Amino acid sequence: MNTQVRDKTIWQRIMIVVALLVLVVNGVYPLVWIFLTSIKNELELTQVPITYFPQTPNFGNYAQVFQAQPFARFFLNSLIISSLSTILCVTIAAFAAYALARLRLRYRRTISIIIVAASMFPIVSLIVPLFQIMRGFGWLNTYWSLVIPYATFSLPISTLVLTAFFQGIPEDLESAAMIDGCSRFGALWRIIVPLAAPGVVTAAILAFVNSWNEFLLALTFNSAPDMKTVPVGVMLYQGEFTFPWPLISAAIIITIIPIVVLILVFQRRIISGLTAGGVKG
Amino acid sequence: MRQPGLETAPRSQTRGATLFRRFATGNLKDSELAILLLAPSAVLLAGIMLYPMLNVFLMSLRVQNTLEPSIVTTSFENFARLFSDKRFLDDFTRTIWFGFLTVTGSFLVGLPLALLANLETGWRWLVRVALLLPWAMPQIITGTMFAWMFNSQYGVFNDILVRLGFERIYWLIRPDSATVALVLTVIWKTSSFVALILLGGLQSIPLELSEAAQVDGATGTQIFWRITLPLLRPAIAVALIFRTLSALQVFDIPYAFMSAGASQSLETLGVYVQKQTVEFTDFGYGSTVSLGLFALSLVITVIYLRFIRPEES
Repeated sequence: MNTQVRDKTIWQRIMIVVALLVLVVNGVYPLVWIFLTSIKNELELTQVPITYFPQTPNFGNYAQVFQAQPFARFFLNSLIISSLSTILCVTIAAFAAYALARLRLRYRRTISIIIVAASMFPIVSLIVPLFQIMRGFGWLNTYWSLVIPYATFSLPISTLVLTAFFQGIPEDLESAAMIDGCSRFGALWRIIVPLAAPGVVTAAILAFVNSWNEFLLALTFNSAPDMKTVPVGVMLYQGEFTFPWPLISAAIIITIIPIVVLILVFQRRIISGLTAGGVKG
Repeated sequence: MRQPGLETAPRSQTRGATLFRRFATGNLKDSELAILLLAPSAVLLAGIMLYPMLNVFLMSLRVQNTLEPSIVTTSFENFARLFSDKRFLDDFTRTIWFGFLTVTGSFLVGLPLALLANLETGWRWLVRVALLLPWAMPQIITGTMFAWMFNSQYGVFNDILVRLGFERIYWLIRPDSATVALVLTVIWKTSSFVALILLGGLQSIPLELSEAAQVDGATGTQIFWRITLPLLRPAIAVALIFRTLSALQVFDIPYAFMSAGASQSLETLGVYVQKQTVEFTDFGYGSTVSLGLFALSLVITVIYLRFIRPEES
């Protein structure tokens, strides 16, 4: 149900425009403010009253981010960990989603309930045993200590999104391919995979964003300086009593660039995936 | 695959073939294929969620000697300690209180956002981006950004207050205003999630319903209360459960606030679990505290399911 705007009075239209403006400003103002902070210098930052737009914008803080901490390394770590966990998660979720959407299963309902329950599980309460498991495997301060848990945490939402997508592909297409001599895997590869590509992209973005943003496990499991991820790295610029906010802000902007790019490119896809996965689950 | 001819023919041809050969040729029975396809998920969920959960129960029985932490005995002492631990009890009530405030707030903000995002306008992509940004921000980053904006000397919020002629507020320093700041931050971060789920619900409501009501002379407000809101119930239920459970686990934002010098009165159960484990390395008691958090989540889920289930069926 989309509400139409055109048959409203002029006053209603003005109110809608104002409300939409509030919505947009509400969504972006912290980022704008952080960006403005990131191009100020320390001196300007401590002026009272504060300045809104930097008097002499300088981008030196961005270079400083990489000099003060091995931030490039953190960024690389985050990229590797998030990509690996996304690939693992989406592959495994696609298997499960295909089974749930297409095969005659006796316990389909039970399995669906388990998946939804897993997606609501209080992860915080698992850090103690997970820490010990990772220590047992010798995985602390490796990529695996984060890749495997991240893949698992995103598994439920990815499975829900992919199941919804698979269910939307007409089953007759597959049957027709099999009648024409395709094996089931042939039908899967030639018919389902291309048609499900948008769903796979959505699931992958959700999994990637989750992994990129995770903080608690990254903080707890990977404390070695060269194995930290960006969300943990951002917190390293502050001392106990010193807060170089321009530097911290620059690090924040660098951290969220991948996420902002994903949103700008895939906004429609992400929303359709979230709404489909959420409401049907 | 539902054609009888297709199912029986390959099976008879490969009778006696190994499971592997039938797998390789793609002629598995549904049930066999299903087990194969679901196995990797089952292994991950069992290894990373179920097994650790069972482990938490066992670990909670490990009692560390206060003087010599390497001496560990097994007893229910941690549970007795839990109920006399003022810090735990404070964090427990605080977590519930934060949860109540932030979930309510995220719905009060999220529902109007969803209704707005559902309008047919030329700005849809901008609206979508503005909705997705808070949802996709890392929580730790959200916390740090807002800690800066709530800074009492150089923060933008106080600057606006002063320009409007109000007193400067020592946001993060005083416990009650720190709570307000935290709640506002969590609402900013989470109301867009609520909006996105509710938007999905709104889009599944057929347009004919409200059009028919309009023809019958219903006003916009009547349509909202009598048609839109009741039909939105399933989406509201989903958003409510997910929001509440993640609100109880809140860790990153209070952690960021306290790292930025905020009052320590923002400690939630999630933060306490992390502190017991990482800072005090008392895994036994840390597990007991996590069980407290787990029990709270479980009780709330059960309550919700009792209230939501009957209406759904």
